[in-house]
Amino acid sequence: MSSVVSQALPLELMSAGEQGVVVEIDGAPELVVRLEEMGLHAGVRVCMVQPGSPCILEINHQRYSMRFDDSVTVLVGLVQ
Amino acid sequence: MIEKVPPKNLERTVAVIGNPNTGKSTLFTALTGVHSQIGNYPGVTVEKKLGWFEFEGQSIRLVDLPGTYSLSPRTIDEMVSVDVLLGRQPEVGQIDAVVCIVDASNLERNLYVVSQVLDLGLPTLLVLNMWDVAQERGIQINTEELAKRLGMPVIPCEAHRRKQIDLVRSAIVQASHSPKPNPPDIFPELFHEEGRKLQAEFLQFSNQTLPTYLVERLILDVGGQLEMELTKPNPEQLITRLKEARERLKVAQFRVPNIEAKLRYGWSRQILSGAMSVPEKRPAVVTDTLDRWLTHKFWGLLAFCLAMFIVFQSISWAAQPLMKICESGQKQVGEMIGSLLPFGPLRSLVVDGVIAGVGGILVFLPQICFLFLFIALLEDCGYMARAAFLMDKLMTKVGLSGKSFVPLMSSFACAIPGIMATRTIENRRDRMVTILIAPLMSCSARAPVYWLMVAAFFPSISWAGGWITLHGIMLFVMTFFGAIVAVPIAWLLKKTLFKGETPPFVMELPSYKIPSPRIVLHRVFDRASAFVMRAGTLILATSILIWSVSYFPSDHSEEQKVLENIRLTESMLASELEQKEQLSLEREKIGQTPPLDSKAIAEVDEKIAELDTRLQPLHLLFDTRNKISEQLLANSFLGRFGKAIEPVVKPLGWDWRIGVGVLASFPAREVIVATLGTIYSLGGDVDENSQGLQTALQSATWPDGRPVYSIPVAMSIMVFFALCAQCASTLMVIRRETNHWGWGVFTFAYMTTLAYIGAWIAYVVTGWLLAS
Repeated sequence: MSSVVSQALPLELMSAGEQGVVVEIDGAPELVVRLEEMGLHAGVRVCMVQPGSPCILEINHQRYSMRFDDSVTVLVGLVQ
Repeated sequence: MIEKVPPKNLERTVAVIGNPNTGKSTLFTALTGVHSQIGNYPGVTVEKKLGWFEFEGQSIRLVDLPGTYSLSPRTIDEMVSVDVLLGRQPEVGQIDAVVCIVDASNLERNLYVVSQVLDLGLPTLLVLNMWDVAQERGIQINTEELAKRLGMPVIPCEAHRRKQIDLVRSAIVQASHSPKPNPPDIFPELFHEEGRKLQAEFLQFSNQTLPTYLVERLILDVGGQLEMELTKPNPEQLITRLKEARERLKVAQFRVPNIEAKLRYGWSRQILSGAMSVPEKRPAVVTDTLDRWLTHKFWGLLAFCLAMFIVFQSISWAAQPLMKICESGQKQVGEMIGSLLPFGPLRSLVVDGVIAGVGGILVFLPQICFLFLFIALLEDCGYMARAAFLMDKLMTKVGLSGKSFVPLMSSFACAIPGIMATRTIENRRDRMVTILIAPLMSCSARAPVYWLMVAAFFPSISWAGGWITLHGIMLFVMTFFGAIVAVPIAWLLKKTLFKGETPPFVMELPSYKIPSPRIVLHRVFDRASAFVMRAGTLILATSILIWSVSYFPSDHSEEQKVLENIRLTESMLASELEQKEQLSLEREKIGQTPPLDSKAIAEVDEKIAELDTRLQPLHLLFDTRNKISEQLLANSFLGRFGKAIEPVVKPLGWDWRIGVGVLASFPAREVIVATLGTIYSLGGDVDENSQGLQTALQSATWPDGRPVYSIPVAMSIMVFFALCAQCASTLMVIRRETNHWGWGVFTFAYMTTLAYIGAWIAYVVTGWLLAS
């Protein structure tokens, strides 16, 4: 299993093909819970497929389209 | 232990729940077939879908709950699912068992909602759908071990291929007779303790016993629907108690609300560890390759435009002939019934009121079926989510998200399916704004009005060797006029009535798959029958209303005499009429196919002229009929009303006849063409290509001799029709989808005001431009 190699950074700064582990999700509680229910929760591994706004992410082999704004910050640690 | 088992033939109710995109509707359809029924739960926008099947002598009633990622009710709509499962929804009653359908290829996330269902303590059954997709991705699941750990039956299934359906049916029957299991231990005892305390306090305050599940949700969901609903009667005390409970839990390292996801996903991981293996690297699948192109910044947009172009072209290409058939069918039914009934109010009511009115709406059925066919195809193959992704950037500019795009695009054909398609938008504010601006998109019923006005009042100028015409430009501008106006309206609505953050846009991109014909056709049938049933009833009522105010209180005996006369003369001149019809067809044919044979044309024209002289008595009778019709209309309630409101419509450049025509077309805007025809003494039977109506419009005058119509008047009429809510069915659908009359009335009021102001501006500005 690979390990976290970087400082935590906001998810939207990941570039295409990079993988990371969600460290923390911060923001309005109801929005955070929503994201968690959909599968984006602390400890889960994400892969940035297509950066941008909205971006395309892959979590557990499932692809999601996401657009972030100031109300939620998702911090990830990059892994190799 | 003696258990009270109800007799087997008694119907059992089983709820179906699962994440979106797990094939829940597909499974529901596979289980129940055609035995289903769609309705609404009172007071909310959630669709109530029930279905029935019988297996092993047991009849089962299935309740399909909306696809959801969790059972924590944050809105009144989400509360419905919880109420149904708890047996608190009177229209559904007690639930005997729950079927959780999950995506086998994404089990960890799907188990989140399953863990919440288990907290309800109902007999539950897990269906691992999309088993084939999981296999393809190399995911291995030990179902026996999983069933043991979860304490419930686990059945792999491929709903779209109808595999294992009987096994699911059998398991449902069995589960519906199973005893209630104990919920799993996900939360610490301390939390349940706080729940019991709050439950007792609630009982004390409101004399009501709240189910344990709801009390615990009340603690977990900060600012959720329950907190708003339950604390209403005793806000002060209950909120204080609730806060105290959360505070005590926080001290014990149980931080609400973040703790829930942590504990539930922890449970889910624990259940799956060793029972499921996922390959480290996802094997390359077709979806990835397709997505590389279809979500590409340039190629994706190009493919999207192409897809939309094909959809709209095929709708008009395929639906037009069918619409013609419907129209002629309607005419024939009218004539047939008309010939059976004697002249008089009853005949007029049936033919002019009911058949013309209800038929007028049924004519759009082919279009609606085709539109839904395409929507269902695009949805079922997985492309719709990509279209929403591509359009998100554009839609955020007006405060909406990509999910609003498809419903708005559909509204260009007809607002009714467009509004129904807003069900895919979960955010209530976004959905409401989309519903309210959808009727501004130029639907197909507006086109005849534009065609008539543009052809009659705009000069036929063309540029670039005939490729670009003024008429074409005008039609294009009018088609997109409503959409342009919708931009500031959407922005305004988002800033005022539906204020609030646009939530981060998160949407699953399901794998592409080949759409299942059965599912697609089923969906088209569902929607089409709903359209006929619901929209049809209101159209019937309004048609009768408009007919009666334009028929009464005038004396129609003279008109009847003339009509009798026409019928007699027609039967006397039957052979001439037939000859003329044939000659006209011939004339049309030789007039169109080059090289033009001028000699042959002249010959046919001469023959037609000769026939016309013989048909002269009939023409005279028609003229008299038209004059009488006009007089009768002017004296009817509608006509008198039109005269009374003339001062109101005068600023727009309209006379009372246009005013009446517009009024009569409030139930359905396309009525204007027929009404203007009646008014300008042509009888009700004209269409927008009739030269007669165009000429009549051009030669209509005010009492002082000035022409009524001019380019400014035509502009003001077109702008009015572009912006006005002249469609009773749309307003009905808005009422149904928002579950409140108020929004239908609001849409009507804002659009009519907008139309009036817009038409006035158009009239004044065009007049000023032409004068300078």
